[in-house]
Amino acid sequence: MNVFLSLFWCVLTAMLMWPGSGAAAEIGPNKPRASVFVAQKTDDASSQSQGAAPREYPLGGTSVEDLLLQKGTITMDEWIQIKAEQEYRVADQSRRIDTLEEWKNRTELLPILRDKVNFGLNALQFLYSHLDAQVPEGRSQDGFSIRRSEMLFWGKISETIPRWHILMEFQSINLTNNTPTSGASTPTSATFFRESYIDVRPIQSWAPNLNVIRMGIFRMPFGIFTETSGGLRDVISSPYLTSVGGGGGPPQNANGTGGQIEFIQERDYFVDVRGKIANRLEYAVGVMNNNNYQANALVSTTSGLSGANQPKAFYTRVRLFGNDVSFVSFTTLQGESNNAGTMINGRGKGRFDRYGIDARYTSKLFPGFMAQGEYWAGHDGANATTVGTAANGACQVISQCGGSGAPGVQRRTWYVLAKYLITDGMFENFEPTVMYEQFDPNTSMGNDLYTRTIVGLTYYFENFPPKVQSKIQINYEFRHHAGLGTGPNTPPYDSATDPFANNAFFVQFQVRFM
Amino acid sequence: MTRVSATVLAVFLGIAACSTYQLFPAEVMDGVDPNFDFSQWRMIPNQALERKIQLGGSILHSERKDANVTIVVTQLPIVEHPAYGPKDMGKRSGEFAVTFMGQIEPPMLQRGNRLIVVGTTKAAKVVTVDDMPRSLPSVSAKCLHIWNTGGRDIADFPSYGAGYETLEEVTFCATAQ
Repeated sequence: MNVFLSLFWCVLTAMLMWPGSGAAAEIGPNKPRASVFVAQKTDDASSQSQGAAPREYPLGGTSVEDLLLQKGTITMDEWIQIKAEQEYRVADQSRRIDTLEEWKNRTELLPILRDKVNFGLNALQFLYSHLDAQVPEGRSQDGFSIRRSEMLFWGKISETIPRWHILMEFQSINLTNNTPTSGASTPTSATFFRESYIDVRPIQSWAPNLNVIRMGIFRMPFGIFTETSGGLRDVISSPYLTSVGGGGGPPQNANGTGGQIEFIQERDYFVDVRGKIANRLEYAVGVMNNNNYQANALVSTTSGLSGANQPKAFYTRVRLFGNDVSFVSFTTLQGESNNAGTMINGRGKGRFDRYGIDARYTSKLFPGFMAQGEYWAGHDGANATTVGTAANGACQVISQCGGSGAPGVQRRTWYVLAKYLITDGMFENFEPTVMYEQFDPNTSMGNDLYTRTIVGLTYYFENFPPKVQSKIQINYEFRHHAGLGTGPNTPPYDSATDPFANNAFFVQFQVRFM
Repeated sequence: MTRVSATVLAVFLGIAACSTYQLFPAEVMDGVDPNFDFSQWRMIPNQALERKIQLGGSILHSERKDANVTIVVTQLPIVEHPAYGPKDMGKRSGEFAVTFMGQIEPPMLQRGNRLIVVGTTKAAKVVTVDDMPRSLPSVSAKCLHIWNTGGRDIADFPSYGAGYETLEEVTFCATAQ
């Protein structure tokens, strides 16, 4: 049966392919059949001699080869050869365009081309430093180092999730000690990321009044310096308001004037709401762990147990803009802090608060000139402790509660910074900078003031902030530290070995591109 | 007293939040055609001459000559949210040229910056973009407002540089036309 069926189909196919039945196969209205010229077809006429009787020429345009053929300059064989080459070229081009189209369709779907995934170099900084202080055996006054090696990854998932953000600091692999309640401190793994956050814009029509809810770890909205990326800072050293003391200087003491003090932490784990009203009033309101950027390492992923009684600090910042780039802001942090289980230096147990005012003036009258300043004051609970030293509670008896044994202290710091970017002439792209700052670790005590004047010169190779900034910075720091306070609890002080009492010189080369 | 102050502040902020963001003086905006069809104008630019319009976009190319600036702009819709201004929706709708009588600093003319222009439509103008001459519908600008975003959307800018950045924005008005 199958043999008969196959035979039937063969006969039917043969009939349909028979030239006589070609017209029947055509669907649609009858048309006069134009003579179709196929380039590959050979023509008997090609063998005829030139200058023979006029003949029919192909339809569809008067190209050069058609004219040449018409005038008898080329033979039909040559014409066919030219046409064949043209057809081949067209077919090749269309094949290549098809391939490109196919790749375009594929690549268009790549997240990196849809702004969903991006990456950039936040800051790669090579630093030379020289410190005038006497240094212990094995340490040096001069050194080369990588100050920052930060890659940034970010993207926009949708209008509702307008940004995700991860910043990797490739030197964040050192183990950091936290503050145990007793005994020796344990090295705790630090986080490889410095920043990692998600923005959520819940209702589009509420933005920018209620712009985003931000959650994660990031530079805190505490003043100007704290929020400025390391790749965009005007001086090399961090200001005293984020960190002062330690680093080989005198250790913590019962006056609360020694050891490292991180008065305002740069980064923390938080959730906050941010927005801008009438394009003039910007605000941020949130709650944070108050435990520094390494604190993720203290969280148990199985039980959820984490460090230092978190979350426990509330903050708010309002910033009033005079114009697009000049503003004044008011910030406050309120809550509790702990000395045990924390990773922030100089925090005691008990009431914690900060009040800050900052302002920036970017001149439109003298383009290139900018001045900014911040003033901060606040209280740290009793027994403020350097991270890694055992501490357990607010009592001021070191044998009982560990820590520094200091009472609760009021601290204060401020700075002013001014710079001028030269935009033409011989010194184009040079930027002189000057900064003066003070830090008073205990306002109720004299003879403990840190002061510093930084004189700097920056040369920009490329300067398109915030995306691109390649530069070399030269800073000289005139440092002074009055001492460790007054009274019977004051330990002896040797300014020769205190890095914060001796001048320093820095040269830093930076690349930033995103 | 504190409660009254808080209430007054809340009312003030509420009013401020709901108020419309106005970039240009009222007299500049007077007579602007609110129903201007950009796509039609782009196809037949010489049919709608001397109409006062407002358009938003992103700077593609600019050229400064004497006291004039010619800017080639990719048109973008102007939105209220998440931030007022031109917003990239991911769809290309075409380019137009802006001629401005006045000075604009080079950083404000960098590619990708967002702008809003108010001006009158003029005959199509031939401009050279990437060494290719192109005939584009043109606007003679009365006023321009430029956001120095360098290619980012206005709402995305403050968090763009792994920190906080203020967004520079400037309004320029033509000295003479």
